[in-house]
Amino acid sequence: GAAPQEPQAEPAPAFVGGEVCATCHADAADHLKGTPHGKQAFASLGPQGCETCHGPGSAHVQDPENPALHPRIDKLPATVQSEVCQKCHSGKSQFFWHGSVHESRNLSCISCHSIHSFKSDTGQLKAANTAEACVSCHKDIRAQLWKSSHHPIREGKMTCTDCHNPHGSATPKMIRAASVNEQCYTCHQEKQGPFLWEHPPVQESCLNCHTPHGSNHIKLQKASVPYLCQQCHANLQHPSELLDASRLGDRPQGPDGESGAANRLFNRACSNCHAMVHGSNHPSSPYLAY
Amino acid sequence: GAAEVQYLNTDVDTDSAKFEEYRDLDSGFRLALLRLLGESDDRERVIDFRVINAPRDDARYTLSYGRAGSYGITLDYNRIPHNFGNNGRLLWTRTAAGRYEIPDEIQRRLQTEVGFNRPNLFFPFLNELLAPYIANADEIDLGIQRDRASAAVDFGGMRRFSWGLEYTHENRSGTRPFGGSFGLFNATEIPEPIDHDTDQAELSGEWKGAAGGLRFGYRHSRFQNNIDTVRWDNPFRVNDSGDPLGILAPTPLSIGGSSTGIADLAPDNESNLLFLNGRARLGAWWVNGGATYNQMEQDDELLPYTTNRGIRLLNDDGTPFDPTIPDTLPIRTAQRESTRMSLSAQAGRRFGKLWDLTFRYRLYDFDDESPRTEFPFYISFQASFVNRARITVPYAYRTQDATAELGRNLGLATHVALSYTLRMVDREFREVDSSDENVFRLALDNRPTDRWNIQAQYEHGDRSIDGYNPLAQLHNLSIPDPLITTHPDMRKFDQAERTYDSLRVQTQWAATDAVGLSFGVSGRDESYDESIFGLISDELLEYNAEVNYSPGENLSFFLFGHRADRQSFQRNRESGGSPSEDPADDWTLDLDEVTDTWGLGINKKFAKRWTSEVSAQWSRSDGFADFFSPPGGEPDLAEDFDDYDDIDLLALFGRVDYQITSHASAGLSYRWEEYDIESFLLRGLRNYMPGAILLNADNGDYTAQILGVNVTVNF
Repeated sequence: GAAPQEPQAEPAPAFVGGEVCATCHADAADHLKGTPHGKQAFASLGPQGCETCHGPGSAHVQDPENPALHPRIDKLPATVQSEVCQKCHSGKSQFFWHGSVHESRNLSCISCHSIHSFKSDTGQLKAANTAEACVSCHKDIRAQLWKSSHHPIREGKMTCTDCHNPHGSATPKMIRAASVNEQCYTCHQEKQGPFLWEHPPVQESCLNCHTPHGSNHIKLQKASVPYLCQQCHANLQHPSELLDASRLGDRPQGPDGESGAANRLFNRACSNCHAMVHGSNHPSSPYLAY
Repeated sequence: GAAEVQYLNTDVDTDSAKFEEYRDLDSGFRLALLRLLGESDDRERVIDFRVINAPRDDARYTLSYGRAGSYGITLDYNRIPHNFGNNGRLLWTRTAAGRYEIPDEIQRRLQTEVGFNRPNLFFPFLNELLAPYIANADEIDLGIQRDRASAAVDFGGMRRFSWGLEYTHENRSGTRPFGGSFGLFNATEIPEPIDHDTDQAELSGEWKGAAGGLRFGYRHSRFQNNIDTVRWDNPFRVNDSGDPLGILAPTPLSIGGSSTGIADLAPDNESNLLFLNGRARLGAWWVNGGATYNQMEQDDELLPYTTNRGIRLLNDDGTPFDPTIPDTLPIRTAQRESTRMSLSAQAGRRFGKLWDLTFRYRLYDFDDESPRTEFPFYISFQASFVNRARITVPYAYRTQDATAELGRNLGLATHVALSYTLRMVDREFREVDSSDENVFRLALDNRPTDRWNIQAQYEHGDRSIDGYNPLAQLHNLSIPDPLITTHPDMRKFDQAERTYDSLRVQTQWAATDAVGLSFGVSGRDESYDESIFGLISDELLEYNAEVNYSPGENLSFFLFGHRADRQSFQRNRESGGSPSEDPADDWTLDLDEVTDTWGLGINKKFAKRWTSEVSAQWSRSDGFADFFSPPGGEPDLAEDFDDYDDIDLLALFGRVDYQITSHASAGLSYRWEEYDIESFLLRGLRNYMPGAILLNADNGDYTAQILGVNVTVNF
């Protein structure tokens, strides 16, 4: 009988060059020229052109109709997708990608970014801008941004990445600074202190009282004053006082001509008098009045 | 490039500042967009100049220039308005930066009237007394303009070494409402004068190697308040009074108090931050971590105990002690300094294709290094001498989080991760010295098909404490230990024992290439079961749903809805001069707020030359405050209210553009907004309220229509 034939070795995949890719993918190649990935700097980092990211294309060129040979990055596991980008984008904002929340939740770079068809002016995002990219998953945050008390995100004057680094950071919740407070101080420096008289929950976390993405109450408060204050203060006399509907500002006068309204239950409630809740520098203001 | 010039015709039915809280939509022309893009001949160097909303208060100008992967320069000037209220009534006249005065003859007349009518010093009399002056008061709009300019330079780009330099200068100017007060029954709202300058500069460097990298840098921040104090006249007093009960004026109990109030506004401060980050690959492990050290200081000159010259005090030896002279303070400047230090490290690896393991550790240490300064007494609200010493307290805390997370792939489409975190907090000078919190988390990420993904996470936390000393904070503030001034059963929620459970499930499904659906539900339930008074529970339940339809480039549509239902429960006990032990004095409060948010958007191109855009957003919050107090105590009855900040916002927007030539188009836009707020805090609000003189600036309801005509040129 005939001797068994040795199986033919698969030819090693080889680079074909970006010009070959462009013969079929002219639109993608043209579009790429206007982006950083179409510049000389990219060529010096990745001399294989398109194949720097997509890998050797010889097999695909020889059998272009075979979907198994399409060098599509979006079909790879998320970790592998990100590894492609991380070959170059491993520093600066992407420094803490490994171990980040988004990485550990199986997202990859192309969950948010697009190399060939992005919509944003900066950052090559799939969405029109940063905030839209974030709220495409964070639906609860999108709703909060529409609350009456909010940061100027929906007005376009700041965006999610002013406070968060979606690529990961050394701080929980991907906060850019080393802590929530240090992040808030970058815009609210006047609250940094340190003050002569401190309000310790304020020093520990602004989030003890505020909710940064939106609130139905003034000043992004988690609950409205005075009840927010009364969640911690049961001090004698007025701080422990019941401030119910009978003490509202529109209450009629009593028989002695005095109104039932309490100046702790209208306008800014407790902070009508305790204006310096973030800390006071006045020698006579240990209770943060002014 | 492209340029869009727009003319706005704006019609608003009220003067509510809410309409232009963070934007400038006044009638008139604006350069809605200008974008100029340029490239060098070799297409390597790119310049991009972008202008939005020039020359308005909400304009932004950005210029960037650079060579990709090599260097880049960005200049940015961002103007952000923040309007708080319009047409407030200011009883005072601004005579200098930080000085609000009332003519002496008016103060004298009011003081005389108050003195003659001391038994009648209730709201009706005082309201009538002030009414003519309030009627003739000047109007004031309250708002801040934040102008931020920054310059950033990057050298090195994607090379092994890179450097960055960034400088930002910001000025904030304007006014915002401020709670000045002369005592319990004479709160006076004044405009806080704002003139803040902040400078920040950062120099950073980065080294990238084959198996790791380093980032390091230094950031300096300096905040300068150009108006250190605000001083305002007391309408009811032309001269100072040292009446010990002055804090109760103007009431039948006292007509005393100071002729002026004075507040020490935010002090100048500085911070210096060093940071170092590293990452490496060690065999199969990836490792990264970082350290920051942030030193913060402020040393502003202190105000005297009071400016009330009616308060006359004596030293122990009987000699006069003048509390209006700063020399009598134990220190003349604040001498405050604190440090914030963080250390973090994480490491992880994969075991084959199935398992992954991650460890995380993080330490954050806040230390107030300021000296403890004793003030032998204080003057409450510039009015009443309080002969109790107070000493500054250098609160400090340290948090440590240690996490282990184990993940496993279940096939190609599913990843599950289970993690455990031990969160330890140590504090100084607060009620709880030490607490431990065990946090368990289970996360699932599933992609059953290319078109469908599910993300889910459940978390449980359980915090235990080593004891709660309810008097710790007050004892540390006082010398000698004070009388008990808070209820011993109060537990502050940020330190108290608690358990919580949270759940989040979100799924997105691309039914076809054109149709996408998503649905999610999330909730969080916090319980402070060991707390007798304070926050007892806080629950949040949210749902969301969205559908979008994009059959091609010519049409896109989305519709989303979201509901959030938040309920919290708190308990307190009303006490007089000593803590009540009578449960009948308890009161409880259930706060319930439901917020619905809907959004709709349609973009359509039709008949080749026409494009249109329609969007709608509606947000509605409905809150209820449900009080209860058992009978027989003080209080005895409790009355609910249903405007725990009920707010409606409906915004509709439509725009049509016609492509005149390949380079020019023209269009019309129309925006309609209706904002309606019913807040218990605003009920019956006017300029004079019982115990308070308010600016009462308008920040409430409005209905606005904005018609825009725009011309766009592409070149």
